[in-house]
Amino acid sequence: MTDIQNIKHKAFLYDATRCIDCRACMIACSVENKIPMDKTRIWVAGVGLQGEYPNLDRASMVYHCMHCEEPDCLSACPVGAYSKREDGPVLYNKDVCIGCRYCMNACPFGVPHFDYNKGLIDGAFIDKCTMCTQRIDVGLEPACVATCPTDALMFGERADLIKEAHARIAAHPDRYINHVYGEFENGGTSYLVLSHVPFNELGLPNLPETPVKTVSEEVMGITIPFALTWGAVLTGVTVGVHEYNKRKENAAKQPVEAEKESEETK
Amino acid sequence: MKMQIAINPRLRLSPFVMVLLTLMGIAFVVAMIRYIYGIGAISDLSYSYPWGFWISFDLFTGVAIGSGAFVMAATVYIFELKEFQPLLKPSVLTGFLGYIMVVIALLVDLGHPERIWYMMIHWNHTSVLLEIGICVMSYLTVLAIEFSPVVFEGLKWQKAAHFVHKFIMPFVILGVVLSTLHQSSLGSLLLIQPEKLYPLWWTPILPVLFFISAVSIGLAMIIFESSVSSRYFHRGLEIHLLEKLGRAIPVVLVIYLIVRFTQLTLAGDLQYLFNSGLMSILFWAEILLGSVIPLILFSIKKIRQSPNGLLISAIILLVGMILDRFDVSWFAVRHPDPLTYIPSLMQFNAHYIPSLPELSISIGIFSAGILAFGLVAKYLPLFEDEGHHDSAASAD
Repeated sequence: MTDIQNIKHKAFLYDATRCIDCRACMIACSVENKIPMDKTRIWVAGVGLQGEYPNLDRASMVYHCMHCEEPDCLSACPVGAYSKREDGPVLYNKDVCIGCRYCMNACPFGVPHFDYNKGLIDGAFIDKCTMCTQRIDVGLEPACVATCPTDALMFGERADLIKEAHARIAAHPDRYINHVYGEFENGGTSYLVLSHVPFNELGLPNLPETPVKTVSEEVMGITIPFALTWGAVLTGVTVGVHEYNKRKENAAKQPVEAEKESEETK
Repeated sequence: MKMQIAINPRLRLSPFVMVLLTLMGIAFVVAMIRYIYGIGAISDLSYSYPWGFWISFDLFTGVAIGSGAFVMAATVYIFELKEFQPLLKPSVLTGFLGYIMVVIALLVDLGHPERIWYMMIHWNHTSVLLEIGICVMSYLTVLAIEFSPVVFEGLKWQKAAHFVHKFIMPFVILGVVLSTLHQSSLGSLLLIQPEKLYPLWWTPILPVLFFISAVSIGLAMIIFESSVSSRYFHRGLEIHLLEKLGRAIPVVLVIYLIVRFTQLTLAGDLQYLFNSGLMSILFWAEILLGSVIPLILFSIKKIRQSPNGLLISAIILLVGMILDRFDVSWFAVRHPDPLTYIPSLMQFNAHYIPSLPELSISIGIFSAGILAFGLVAKYLPLFEDEGHHDSAASAD
């Protein structure tokens, strides 16, 4: 298994304590990628106001593709429309997509979104965050990160961001929950989250370190050997049953034939 | 006891046929609306619920009730229990039509129905859905081959029918292998959702459970369709054969129950059996209806020998096992509930109730299936005794 802490590629770091819920990231994403706001690839999830006056608290979560190290959408897609680029982003290719929406089932974060309001002529596709490949390819930060006024969103080398996250927790242990979400979850993600409230309150699922696709892929791995064995067994049974029945028939016939023969010899 | 098989299909433009045609027409119009305005225009599917009634009913249930075809093909050809020959053709036809209905439903459900054949050229070998797609496409071909002698006999092309019969064995074995694969893989589809599917259902041996239950569904389905078609077409009922099939069902169900509860015990999921609210109710409903009650009913000889007893027991089993398919693919799946501030997404708070147009698609496709079965039964020698190539029956 690869060392997911020191993997070399880009990632995001989101710090919930810094987010002021301005949603400039959503607008930046919409403008940069030329997609309507309601089809946005990034959305802000929140738990609303919590606690009692004057100790009020409010948390929000900027939610987009987690760019998993072991993407489940990639594993699930029957036609291989997904790919994981070496420098981080999980990408979707709409030219081969058949619109089965199995990736939406597979993704534990509910990230891929489907165009339910487009017919055959417009073409209904999956839409998801691309890590702004058009920007990172020329050395820029993704639009959401570049626009964030409080540096709640940061972009950089994954290993560096993990160090940065742990440094922040060490500097303010009272402010953060001592955990970097995404460091190991689901086999590691390229979207890391720091928070002052429990992560499930931000809408993040509790996931083990093994990616959700693990069992599915193990079962798929034994399919072909199983099919060949099963075919051989069935062929064996067919031949066996046939031979057995033939012998039984012959055994039933034989006395009659023997009688006939004896009659003939007479 | 020798049955007199007389075919008297009442398939004129009866009110029943008119109703079927109307339902098909409605489904066609709704499908056109879907193709023009998108899936959202006719269904309640959402970001949280990408799969709904179509997948649970048309795919999961449709494939499950088509399992009679491979169960019967294995019985007659592989185990050479030739006495069951009269049941073979109707169950192969049910399977064939059932799988065509699955494909038609998928053509509505897929975002890009015109690309369904991409599954043949773009392979992602880790995808369970790819395996199911390829198996279903191949198995449809196998079923067409298995059923073709009936068509050839209907056309009086005896040589062609004979030719197919001669080379049928490899196809039968291939068909059983393909069926085993995709019946079980329907369960594997949910393996990728360990955090979403309720622990009473999610287990790495879901494919095994799906296969065992598919065999029981296949047996029950043969009993069901023989009973119903014998009533509708006023033909003799092969009650002695159905009685024998009924004897096999308890064996399959006992294996199913043992595997299921052993798994729950080993996984430590017994704690969920009684205190999970709706999930516990669904679990016990499917266990009682699908396994326990049919197990008792089919074990009683008197019930197995009565046409009504057989039919009712088969229906109870089918209801329970279909509930299992719905549980696994829909009811027991907990979808993520993205907390969101986006106004246009506010409606998607992880609730899903299939809309009327959505249901009408499935109902229309089902009606087409019934009509197709009726037409085949009328024009092709479906219920003839095997070996009699006389034209008496088709003369009506």
